[in-house]
Amino acid sequence: MIRFTDVGFRYGAHAVLENVSFEIKPGDFVFLVGQTGSGKSTLLKLMYMDLKPTSGTVVVGKYISSSISKNATPHLRRTLGIIFQDYRLFDDRTVYENVAFTLHVTGVKGNEIKKRVLQSLASVGLSHQRNKLPAEISGGEQQRVVIARALVNNPHFLLADEPTGNLDPTTSRDILQLLKDINTRGTAVVMATHNYELVRRMNERILQVREGKVYDVELRTS
Amino acid sequence: MSLSYTLRESVSGFRRTKLSSLLSIITIAISLLLLGIFAVLTIHATRFLDEIRARVELEVFLEEPVTRHEIDSLRAVIAGLDGVGTVVYVSKADAAAIFKKEFGEDIMNVLDFNPLPPSYKIGLAEGYRTAAHAERLERRLSTLTGVESVKYRKEYLEIIDERARIVHNISLGLGVLVGLSAIVLVSNTIRLAISAKRQIIRTMELVGATRMFIRMPFLLEGIMQGILGGGMAAGILYLLLAYAVRIISPDLPGLLRIEPAYYGAVVVAGAVLGWVGSTISVMRFIRPQGR
Repeated sequence: MIRFTDVGFRYGAHAVLENVSFEIKPGDFVFLVGQTGSGKSTLLKLMYMDLKPTSGTVVVGKYISSSISKNATPHLRRTLGIIFQDYRLFDDRTVYENVAFTLHVTGVKGNEIKKRVLQSLASVGLSHQRNKLPAEISGGEQQRVVIARALVNNPHFLLADEPTGNLDPTTSRDILQLLKDINTRGTAVVMATHNYELVRRMNERILQVREGKVYDVELRTS
Repeated sequence: MSLSYTLRESVSGFRRTKLSSLLSIITIAISLLLLGIFAVLTIHATRFLDEIRARVELEVFLEEPVTRHEIDSLRAVIAGLDGVGTVVYVSKADAAAIFKKEFGEDIMNVLDFNPLPPSYKIGLAEGYRTAAHAERLERRLSTLTGVESVKYRKEYLEIIDERARIVHNISLGLGVLVGLSAIVLVSNTIRLAISAKRQIIRTMELVGATRMFIRMPFLLEGIMQGILGGGMAAGILYLLLAYAVRIISPDLPGLLRIEPAYYGAVVVAGAVLGWVGSTISVMRFIRPQGR
């Protein structure tokens, strides 16, 4: 479970978030929507505790922002999968190595790494591209590699920051469908986006970030 | 943490950033070469001063007449004193022979008798070859029964002491300066190399790598670069010294003689420099997780 209680966050004198409270339960699919610069990425960073709130508390699983130690932060992140708009893939490593990297980092042993990487690549439909370098595959496929990398640790929550931001509409829909499938298998997904078109197609919970507040909004169907 | 993976990452870090790795190695090599040359000069200056000190002797002139038994007992007493290295007896006849050798005249022909008293020449033990120790020993020797007077080149030893102090202070100051410069230079070079890997570091942080896991490959890479840079410096230093011996003093091969262990120490210093440099860079560059 992810719970924000009266969370505030400031960059210097600029208040980005004020008195934000909400809860995301295991298995949820939540869109974080809002204009560019509204604070969606800040919310995600607060979830993986790259930032600490200036007031209030963020709870992610058993980890609490006010008391988490520097040594515990990596362990929190192992329970999350993080997806970026700019992919953050290593250009000089193959698709397989990019996904395996997460497992090496977390100390998983050799045979187990192979099994889990292949499973993860299969789940995003990229087994056949495993020996290619990122530059040799399309943007949509690169984003799938990032998703495979985020999934390989069997996270409880998948945090996606504008995962379709660099993709064409068709590929964006494919990626969204993939995230939906992952969610159906039990992983909670939190996806930040400013693409209302995509959000409108899905019947999922929406948290809107506006003027430092977060609102649970009802989807208006026309 | 998987050690083999960390080692593989360190080695592949070399491969991925060939240019910056090479730059770090060269920086370490140049820094160590400067330090090495400087240390060789200091070692030789110190060795030279030590050799001069070793030649300083105290002459203990004995009262006359003196019996064989008194000479032997005095020798035993002198040999037992603190700071005494060698004790050589110079009889009246020996003194006359030395006089003849030095002045070319037989003293018996000049004066019809030998006025030169018997004496002991005392060499200072290692660690006692300073003006202060010599003075203390002189005072002690002067109090011994049967000793007429004690002479030594006090001013000479004081000048050597002063020169040694200057060499020591300059060595220490320059050594610290060159050492610190080397650390700053190396840590900056390694920092540039680490800066080029921002993306990999950031991704490691976000997928749950511990700080130790992130830092370790960089530290190992720094140590490996240090060893290579140290090896390069040791090799160049060896060639430079061999060349200097050939040019300056082909007949004095001992002049720039350096123990083989010294070259090993340069390599070890490289490893330490690489480690310290990368530690500083990593601490400054890889921020603590969770701000």
